[in-house]
Amino acid sequence: MKGKVIVITSGKGGVGKTTTTASLGAAIASLGKTVAVVDMDIGLRNLDVVMGLENRIVYNVVDLAHGRCQVKQAAIRDRRIEGLFLIPASQSDNKNALNTDDMARLTKKLKEEFDYILIDCPAGIEQGFENSVTGADEAVVVCTPEVSAVRDADRIIGLLYARSITPKLIVNRIVPYMVVNGDMLSHKDVEDVLSVELIGLVEMDERVIAATNTGSYIIDDKTSKAGQAYTRIAKRLLGDKSVPVKEPVYDQKGLWGKITSKFGMRK
Amino acid sequence: MKNGFFARIFGTGKESSRDIAKKRLQFALIYDKLEVSDEILEALQKDIVDVISKYFEIDKSSLKLDIERQDDLSALVLNTPILSAKRKFG
Repeated sequence: MKGKVIVITSGKGGVGKTTTTASLGAAIASLGKTVAVVDMDIGLRNLDVVMGLENRIVYNVVDLAHGRCQVKQAAIRDRRIEGLFLIPASQSDNKNALNTDDMARLTKKLKEEFDYILIDCPAGIEQGFENSVTGADEAVVVCTPEVSAVRDADRIIGLLYARSITPKLIVNRIVPYMVVNGDMLSHKDVEDVLSVELIGLVEMDERVIAATNTGSYIIDDKTSKAGQAYTRIAKRLLGDKSVPVKEPVYDQKGLWGKITSKFGMRK
Repeated sequence: MKNGFFARIFGTGKESSRDIAKKRLQFALIYDKLEVSDEILEALQKDIVDVISKYFEIDKSSLKLDIERQDDLSALVLNTPILSAKRKFG
C-alpha cells in the first residue's frame, strides 16, 4: 500500500485547522479509505479531544517517531468509523522534540500502512511547520475571511511553493449575510488575493461547536452545512472532480426578505 | 447590494468594510513581499563584490548596499569607490 500525505495548515491559529483535519479524516474514512490523522502540535495537543479519543491515548507521535512503539500501538482506532485512526501529539515534549529527518522516516512508514495520512500542522512557521510539511505530498491551507488570516495564509502559501508543494485552499467560517452586506470578505475576494486553487467553502456553523463539545464528527450531522461541505471537500481530495465547490448562499426568508435584501436594506 | 440602499441612491455611501479589507490586504501582501532579510542582503553584497572585483580594484569595506523605499517603488542602491580598473580580465 502506498498512501498519500496531506498537510492541513494555515499559519494563523484559531481558523479551524484541527476541526478541518478531524472532519476530513472522518469523511475520507467514511468513503472507504484507511486514514491516519496525525496531531503535530507537540505540547499543545487538541486533535484527540476534538475527535473524542482523549481517554484512549497510550503512545504518541514522538514515541512512534523515536521508535519506542509500533504504528499499531500509537494509532488509536476510532470505533465509530471504520478505517479511521488517530496518532496523538505528545503533551509533555517541547516543539523541538522532532526534526525533519524523524518526520521523513515517520511519513514513509505511515504511507505503507494507510491510504491517507492527514497532518494537523501547528500554527506558526517554526519547527512544527517544517516538520509537518516534510514528507507531505499535498497541502490544504485553511483560511477565514479576515485580513489577519488571509495575510498569514499568503505567507504559508509562499513557503509551500518554495518546497514545490502546490496548496489548495479552504475558506472557513463564511457568514453569507455579512458578505452580502459588505461586512465580510467573500470567498472570491480571498481567492483573488491569494490566487490559489479553491477546494472548498465552509459556512460558519454553530453545530461545529456543538459537535466539538461532545467529541463527535460534524460530517455525521447530515443536515449541517459545514458537515456537508467537509464531505464534498473529502470527495474532491480523493480526486472526484465532478463534485462542485458549493458557494454558501444567504437564505432570505420570505418575499419581503428577498426584496429588502436585494436593495441592501436588510441587516 | 454591497452598500446600503439609501447610500446607493444618494451617493453618500462609504466604501464597505469588505472592500476596504480587500484593498488593504492587496497592499499589505505586496509590501510583505518587498521585505528583504539581512541575511539575503549580505549574501547579495558578497556576490556583487566578487563580480565587481573581477573588473575593478575596489575598497571592499567601503562598499554599501541598501534598499531605498519610496511610496511606489523599492530600489537597490549600490555605492562603491573604484580604486582602479583592471588591465587584464580575470
